Amino acid sequence: MATESISVGRHRRGYYLYLIPGFVGLFLIVIGPQIANFVLSFTAWKGVGTPRWVGMQNYQRLLTDDQFWGSMHNTLLYMISMTAVPVLIGLVLASLLFDYVRDQFSERLSSFFRAAFYLPQILPLTVAGVLWGWILSPVGVANALLGMVGLGAYTQNWIGDATYALPAVSLVIVWVQVGYCLVVFMAGLSRIDPALYEAAQLDGAGWWQRLVSITVPMLAPEIFVVCLTTLIAALKVFAPIFVLTQGGPDDATLAPSYLTYFHFFTTQRVGYAAAVSTVQMILTLGLAVIFLLFQQRQAERGV
Amino acid sequence: MRLPRLALAAVSAFALLGGTALAQDKTFNIWWFEGADSAQGITWTKALEELKAAHPDVTVNFEQKTFDQLQQSGSMILNSAEAPDILEYNKGNATAGLVASQGLLTNLDDAYTAMGWDKILNEGQLVLSRYNELGVYGSGPIWGISTYGEYVSAFYNIDAFEKAGVKVPTTLEELTAAFDTFKAQGVTPLALGGASTSGQHLLASLAYTKADDTWVQNYQGLKAPLDGAPYLYAAQTLTDWLAKGYITKDSTGMNDDDASLQFTSGKSPVYVSGTWNLGNFSANIKDFKWGQFVIPTPKYSVGSTGNLWIIPKGSKNPELAKEFISLLLSEKYQTEQANNGGVSFAADAAKVTNPVGANASAVFAEIAAKQGLGFYPDWPVPGYYDVLNQKDTGLLQGTLTPEQFVDEIKKVYDDAQASQ
Amino acid sequence: MAEATVFASSPAKSVTVHAHQTRSPMRWVVLALLLALLVFTLFPFFLALLNAFKPGPDYVRGGPLSIPSYLQFDSIAKFWRDADYSRKLFNSTLISVCVSVLAVGISLFNAYALGIGRVRGSTVILAILLLGTMVPQESIIYPIYWMAKTLGLYDTQLSVIIVTAVLHSAFGTYLLSSVMSTFPREILEAAEIDGATRWQILTKVVIPIMTPTLMVLGTFFFIWTWNEFLIPVVMLVSNNNQTVAVAMGLTRGQNMSDPTLQAAAGLLGILPTVIFFLIFQRTLTRGVVAGAVK
Repeated sequence: MATESISVGRHRRGYYLYLIPGFVGLFLIVIGPQIANFVLSFTAWKGVGTPRWVGMQNYQRLLTDDQFWGSMHNTLLYMISMTAVPVLIGLVLASLLFDYVRDQFSERLSSFFRAAFYLPQILPLTVAGVLWGWILSPVGVANALLGMVGLGAYTQNWIGDATYALPAVSLVIVWVQVGYCLVVFMAGLSRIDPALYEAAQLDGAGWWQRLVSITVPMLAPEIFVVCLTTLIAALKVFAPIFVLTQGGPDDATLAPSYLTYFHFFTTQRVGYAAAVSTVQMILTLGLAVIFLLFQQRQAERGV
Repeated sequence: MRLPRLALAAVSAFALLGGTALAQDKTFNIWWFEGADSAQGITWTKALEELKAAHPDVTVNFEQKTFDQLQQSGSMILNSAEAPDILEYNKGNATAGLVASQGLLTNLDDAYTAMGWDKILNEGQLVLSRYNELGVYGSGPIWGISTYGEYVSAFYNIDAFEKAGVKVPTTLEELTAAFDTFKAQGVTPLALGGASTSGQHLLASLAYTKADDTWVQNYQGLKAPLDGAPYLYAAQTLTDWLAKGYITKDSTGMNDDDASLQFTSGKSPVYVSGTWNLGNFSANIKDFKWGQFVIPTPKYSVGSTGNLWIIPKGSKNPELAKEFISLLLSEKYQTEQANNGGVSFAADAAKVTNPVGANASAVFAEIAAKQGLGFYPDWPVPGYYDVLNQKDTGLLQGTLTPEQFVDEIKKVYDDAQASQ
Repeated sequence: MAEATVFASSPAKSVTVHAHQTRSPMRWVVLALLLALLVFTLFPFFLALLNAFKPGPDYVRGGPLSIPSYLQFDSIAKFWRDADYSRKLFNSTLISVCVSVLAVGISLFNAYALGIGRVRGSTVILAILLLGTMVPQESIIYPIYWMAKTLGLYDTQLSVIIVTAVLHSAFGTYLLSSVMSTFPREILEAAEIDGATRWQILTKVVIPIMTPTLMVLGTFFFIWTWNEFLIPVVMLVSNNNQTVAVAMGLTRGQNMSDPTLQAAAGLLGILPTVIFFLIFQRTLTRGVVAGAVK
């Protein structure tokens, strides 16, 4: 496939014009405020009145703030629940619904399942939080169900116990995220030439084999997009923690975004919050750059 | 929604050109966030109706706000042109104190005497209305007025107590004895939302039983590093109760909704929480008789005057705002409030027919009379609410010993105290 | 001009005639597993449904799982009234639609330049535009508040629309540009040879072919915007301007919440998006990519 642009030389420059709205928006809404935020991180400010310059003080605090390091550590765990698990489940489910169910049952059943699995994405997280709170509370539905099937010994204080809180919140996160991965993957599947699947079937390949050798490589662009976006979302995760545990118990589920929210709006230590979010932003940036470079190298190797 | 804004700007400009700001005096914007069904909500709506009737030429615009919104962006709103003429605001250093110290509010010192509020309120009820230049309560000009009270007490199941032969406790020993009796009968005596407000309120209620005047003043005023003794006692008592089975291990994960449910469904006969439950309990508990008793204490209980009515600096109708406050403080509406189940300070006791309101107002008056309002435990430090919740959970789960608990909360407190 | 028929959706449809796999009994096992997963996925919705119509006394007596002794619509009616829900629905719809359109537009323009125009420094530009997805909203809210106040846009829906659209367009640009970079060159070249300008190519060739993808993107944007919380809560002050997500806060008071009201609010909050989603479900079956040339 030819890689030259269809327009040569001076024609190319005209395309830059199309970038103007995007860039204006970017500067006004993203870059400008980020710079302001960066400047704020060197001040002590309560949100009203004039900020007071304090130099590196906020960053020094950060280094010894247990909450900050705890939240960073939790982020690694959130990456699993927001990225790895939903992507894997999404892939398997998408392939199952698209390949197996559509074939063995009907297109309509497949669509029905897809719609149903996507529904958690539509629910406002504040509402999901309340509902899951009812389920996960120690006197809630989850424990009641465990009791009913005879697994009463496993009932736990899901949200209140520091050991189980993060997994519990992760469960809710997975519940919400799978739908997004599923839909994007299924949409991508419909562009794969079915002849490939037919050929594989004729060769005797089972559903799993087809998944691994055809689906995954062909879905590479979608997988990259989903992985990158969910990874970034993992670094920014806020709403589930806000509604379920408020960072607790005892900071077990704390994430950087919640920490910054806490300091921006509750303790009103805006300068400190700005410092934490600057660090968070830099980390996200670093990760994204690494990921994008990786994707580019994969693309160069030939998709 | 650009067009209406432009139109409004044009009209205002025109009015200004006309030499008078007539267009603006004719509207009165008021916000509050108490629920429409709460005692306050009902009373305030009625009072607003009377205000409307008294000023037919003024357009009264009421907006029902949410606590979340004002808590989060309150100072942002007050710092803009979108602030109303009068609004309900959360009392305390971190909220009312902050915006007062930034010059965003109207000083009410003159109105206090001019409008006759000094005949109705005493200094004790003004403690949370005053904030100094640093935004710390207790001294300084009057920046807001509260028209109701709130406190934390023990709600109890009257029928369950009668059946178990337990009398209402008047000392802490009697309280633990009562718990013992229930435990012996196989009932978990105390419902507790360990992950939430009722957890820290119980802790504070216990701590306050060991608090003296100096301690409370220092604690609330952020005047000195934390003296952890009262809290140590409370933490030890709590772990003791947990060990004896008076509270369930599940409490750590329960929030107030769950705990309240444990009480209202009859599982536990006692629930320690605040007067904000009165509306829900009155409306929905149909299975048993219930009442309240104050947690036995020498002087201090968790409680305070209610949220404040504040008048933003840029209010276009401060006179009407002050008139509204007067209405709410009047005997007529204080009685009305008590009859709606609310906690009033100036009701005519003879005219109050609602037993819930009568009782609540009486209890509040009793606590206030001995200057026993210890305020809330999370006030001194912004964000302390979350800290207390978290450490409380740790304590109940056993990951923190009472000593460690006190150390942790002391660390945060001392930090804030030093960096004032 | 080349026709767009090459890029059919669901190409598999035309060939299902052939080899259906033999219907194996395993399929019932798979179905059972899927149904179990379905129950797990939909259970919270069921809870919302159960409690939205439950009378208060029933809830305080039995909790969230109890069966209501009778059904009442008071909670739903009350929430609708208290929250002025019809107004909030209108606002949310207006904002979500505007953001959708604006964000798709910005993404399209950006992706056109990057994916098709292949301007110099595309990778770097894309990376910069991607910054929009990485920025945590809390960090920009104060500066945006100040900007909006200065421009007189505080408490306007326009501010929310612009901010949200720009933030979403970052994702849109990323997705669209990677899709557009596989756009078949032959069609573009043919159009160029026919003398079409860049604008005409965009409107007459690219957009018609990309429509399915644009609709998928638009649907995502609509749903994401509908559930946006932080920016509307901070930027929209007057009740008349607020969205559905902000209204949810009404069920949580300072010290306690009203569970049946929350369930009712939750139900009312998702109904519009569910309906919207079901209507536009079809678009999600179309390919997200411009398709392979057969």
